[in-house]
Amino acid sequence: MAELYPSLAQCAIVATAFKILLFPAYKSTDFEVHRNWLAITHSLPVKQWYYEKTSEWTLDYPPFFAAFEWVLSQLAQYADPAMLVVKNLEYDSWQTIYFQRATVIATELVLLYALNKFVNSVPQSSKHLAHAASLSILLSPGLLIIDHIHFQYNGFLYGILILSIVWARRQSTILYSGIAFAVLLCLKHIYLYLSLAYFVFLLRAYCLDPKSVFRPRIWNTIKLGVSVVTIFGLAFGPFAAWGQLFQLKERLFPFSRGLCHAYWAPNVWAMYSFMDRILIPLAPRLGIPVNYEALSSVTRGLVGDTSFAVLPEISKEYTFGLTLLFQLLPLIKLWRNPYPNTFIGALTLCGYASFLFGWHVHEKAVLLIIIPFSLIALKDRRYFSAFRPLAVAGHVSLFPLLFTAAEFPLKTVYTLFWLILFLFVFDRIAPVPERPRIFLVDRFSLLYITVSIPLIVYCSLIHQLIFGLERYQFLPLMFTSSYSALGVVGSWVGFMVVYFTA
Amino acid sequence: MASSTASYRPRKKRKSAALFAGSNNSLIVDAGEGKSTPAFPLVSFLWGARAGVSQWLVLPLTLMAVGLFRWAVSLWGYSGFQVPPMHGDFEAQRHWMEITIHLPIYKWYTYDLQYWGLDYPPLTAYHSWLLGKIGSVFDPTWFALDGSRGLEDPLLKVFMRATVIVSEYLVYIPAIVTFLRRYTRMQAVPVWSASIALSAILLQPATLLIDHGHFQFNTVMLGLFVASLDAIMAGRMLWACIFFVGALGFKQMALYYAPVMFAFLLGVCFIPRFRPIRLVCISLVTIATFAVLLLPLLLGATGLEARRNITSTVEPPLLQVLPFALDKTSSLYATLFQITQIIHRIFPFSRGLFEDKVANAWCAIHTFYKLHIFESDFLKRLSLGATLASISIPCGIIFRHPRASILLPAFATVAWGFFLFSFQVHEKSVLLPLLPMTLLIAGDGGLNKDTRSWVGWANMLGSWTLYPLLKRDGLQVPYFVMTILWAYLLGLPPTSWQIYQHQKFSDETGTAAEPHLITKLIHTAFYLAMLAWHVLEAFVLPPPEKPDLWVVINVLIGAGGFGISYLWCLWRLIVQSQRMDTRKEEDRKKIQ
Repeated sequence: MAELYPSLAQCAIVATAFKILLFPAYKSTDFEVHRNWLAITHSLPVKQWYYEKTSEWTLDYPPFFAAFEWVLSQLAQYADPAMLVVKNLEYDSWQTIYFQRATVIATELVLLYALNKFVNSVPQSSKHLAHAASLSILLSPGLLIIDHIHFQYNGFLYGILILSIVWARRQSTILYSGIAFAVLLCLKHIYLYLSLAYFVFLLRAYCLDPKSVFRPRIWNTIKLGVSVVTIFGLAFGPFAAWGQLFQLKERLFPFSRGLCHAYWAPNVWAMYSFMDRILIPLAPRLGIPVNYEALSSVTRGLVGDTSFAVLPEISKEYTFGLTLLFQLLPLIKLWRNPYPNTFIGALTLCGYASFLFGWHVHEKAVLLIIIPFSLIALKDRRYFSAFRPLAVAGHVSLFPLLFTAAEFPLKTVYTLFWLILFLFVFDRIAPVPERPRIFLVDRFSLLYITVSIPLIVYCSLIHQLIFGLERYQFLPLMFTSSYSALGVVGSWVGFMVVYFTA
Repeated sequence: MASSTASYRPRKKRKSAALFAGSNNSLIVDAGEGKSTPAFPLVSFLWGARAGVSQWLVLPLTLMAVGLFRWAVSLWGYSGFQVPPMHGDFEAQRHWMEITIHLPIYKWYTYDLQYWGLDYPPLTAYHSWLLGKIGSVFDPTWFALDGSRGLEDPLLKVFMRATVIVSEYLVYIPAIVTFLRRYTRMQAVPVWSASIALSAILLQPATLLIDHGHFQFNTVMLGLFVASLDAIMAGRMLWACIFFVGALGFKQMALYYAPVMFAFLLGVCFIPRFRPIRLVCISLVTIATFAVLLLPLLLGATGLEARRNITSTVEPPLLQVLPFALDKTSSLYATLFQITQIIHRIFPFSRGLFEDKVANAWCAIHTFYKLHIFESDFLKRLSLGATLASISIPCGIIFRHPRASILLPAFATVAWGFFLFSFQVHEKSVLLPLLPMTLLIAGDGGLNKDTRSWVGWANMLGSWTLYPLLKRDGLQVPYFVMTILWAYLLGLPPTSWQIYQHQKFSDETGTAAEPHLITKLIHTAFYLAMLAWHVLEAFVLPPPEKPDLWVVINVLIGAGGFGISYLWCLWRLIVQSQRMDTRKEEDRKKIQ
């Protein structure tokens, strides 16, 4: 068996060189958000962390992330102490930029470590598949756009998630998997979307005997329970003692936001809004009443309550109910078949459900689907067929995050590079499935990928030539997210079929 | 075979894999136990493309990857950013776009010469005109006459950066790709090695940093030169002339290559036998290309308005020394005025022997023995003599052996000679000798340890001598990232010293040439000196009475290294031409 080249480390070195060159690139308000958190955690007592509101970007991540920022701030004072002053809003000296960007790159080593573990955990015969999947995650355009240009710390967080998934593959390390996931939840609560799958899996595979539901393993249950409670106690205990839990809840779950996020995450609600827009000119002819007050809301693209002109309003309860329903379906199978591959599939489907039906979903959350899915996309060609439209749609939907001219070539060329390279490599190495493939899925994904080219051209060039920069700004955004939504939904349906028939 | 009549031509057979077998020169190291590992990281990145992957996939991916690095470098600062009143090369190029689109053509070479007057040949002027026209579609204020001086709009930066990268992808990259394809086939180098060489060449740090960091259009000129080389390889001498005149017409710096080009083209007309028709054709095409290049400028100068304007402009010195007087209102006068003015602008003979600090012989000698004391005329003659001396041997060899296969070392040698000894050399001119020298890695055995170590070393040294310049532009980070990345990919110091250690290669056909002991010593000494210099420069202040000390040391080490590069290229050329002689000898014996 030949060694696999290029190795993860080699790719990481070249990717790091590229990421360092991106230091002066566009950075979103998230850069200021994280600077502000560095300042808050460094200069205020813990008691005030969740009450401080000098900046509009208040601390709204769980306590471990705040602690993580505190650790970083201990180093930051050597780079530039001025960034640690709470009142220095919008402060971005070059030392600050170098420091914050460098921390993103450095903490991504966790991801590299996790991927390395993942490759090692796989049997020799399919090592090359795991290696290719790991490279695709390491070089993911999603992480590049969100972390290294837009600015966030997802690489490090997804590293922990993958570590936890790797540990879930062996009975002897399942406990670590649970602990890692608990830590992850205390770092960023978006992973709550995946928690049901973890709950079912840990319960079924660790606390109960995999062969029989009626033989609980008490000692395992105690170990897991104590560790998880300890971690949550460490994170939230002090705040509970100070009676701040309600304030934390307010910060962590701001339910006053609207259904669709500013940039229209490509989910079911984007398609719903799109339908609504199409119905507006048609409604008078069909005799449906139009709510004219709503006309100006979605098009503005601002964070706020979305209201629909023709179609019925969507309430939080609906979105919650739908999410739960579509999470529970795959979990039934996981309950019956509590094995690692089903678990990763269930995680992916939980990610899908929450992304497609959730309330106020960020387009960045698409990584919640792509990254777990990448780990099993190479299981066989059926999985890969479902993965393909997601890879295209998920990444194209991130394009509106970067709207500056200088970053346009970066995001498009890098994503195109990644898509060509990995879709080709995956296509070459993905094994033939045991069951026959579904004929339509392949045709659908090919057609779908082809459509993306004119779409990107229109959104980035032709639209501006026809309408200029000012008019109908929402149109490209709406096209992008409706197109991407179609891809995500299509790949979701495809994967459901694969998952339930596997 | 009876069927092989004149009308029947058998389909060209693809060179079989067997022909290439074993010549994947030392890319795969034998790691023992039947395992093989890539010899250096760049090989790992193309490991998957060893066999059975179409060039239609490898090539676009390579071009995208190198393009991304170019664009990422271009996010950083450029020369003259926030340095009023004159700014730098970025402003010069923008200013030329501004004047060419607003002024009548006869004013291009005379307008306000104090503020970045046009001093590049006509093709640059036309190129600027085209880019200025395109840019004005986006935003005419970027190029408003006089009003746009020193403009630093971020969108303007994006546009200007895009012009460099688009020009490069339209000229340099197609030229390099087609040249490499032909050259590697000629040298029987396998496709896989060629892809690796291509990536290495396109990531050459010095060229990338100067064009996309500092801001210049060198790759257009270099691309035209490579296109001309490609035409030579294909045996199309007339196209070679056209492309080469294009290179000269874009940037006069291409003159560094001219002596070899001249010797070669003359050689193919005389050796092995005199071919007068070819000689006439080559001369005519060259003259015609020059004429076409100049024609718009000359026609523009003959109009009534233009002639009136020209009479009131200061005569260029070349016109003043004409032995006869001319009617100042005639078209002939206007034409001559225009030509002499362009020549006067392009070749600034009135300036000093060298400008700033540049790693060539004069600047190095000047450090120890002040050259001011001599007359400027004497220095000019000295420089001319030294340059001629340094280029006479390679030119002679090329004239005697006008073979395409030994052109690269000849071009490199002559360009090094020019860089070291000629008049008015810029530090950026180091790109010229580096290009043909780097192209050597695409030849037969080019990626073996010996050639790779020399080419890599020269490139590292070249980028290193550019550091003081790049530092002024705020490009330290891209400098370190790109040079270290390149060194890493090619397995060079400071990232790995393996290239100087013994390795067992999986193909033991004798191509795994180990570098000589002297090579190892020289390279190690230079790498250590460069590293030490960076440490000193970063952490130790130079003594107050010698504020330029670090730059001077940089120049001295650089000049020494470039001298060695000159000698290595010359030696390479001599060895190759001798090998050619012996082969000819053997062929003759066989026939007898």
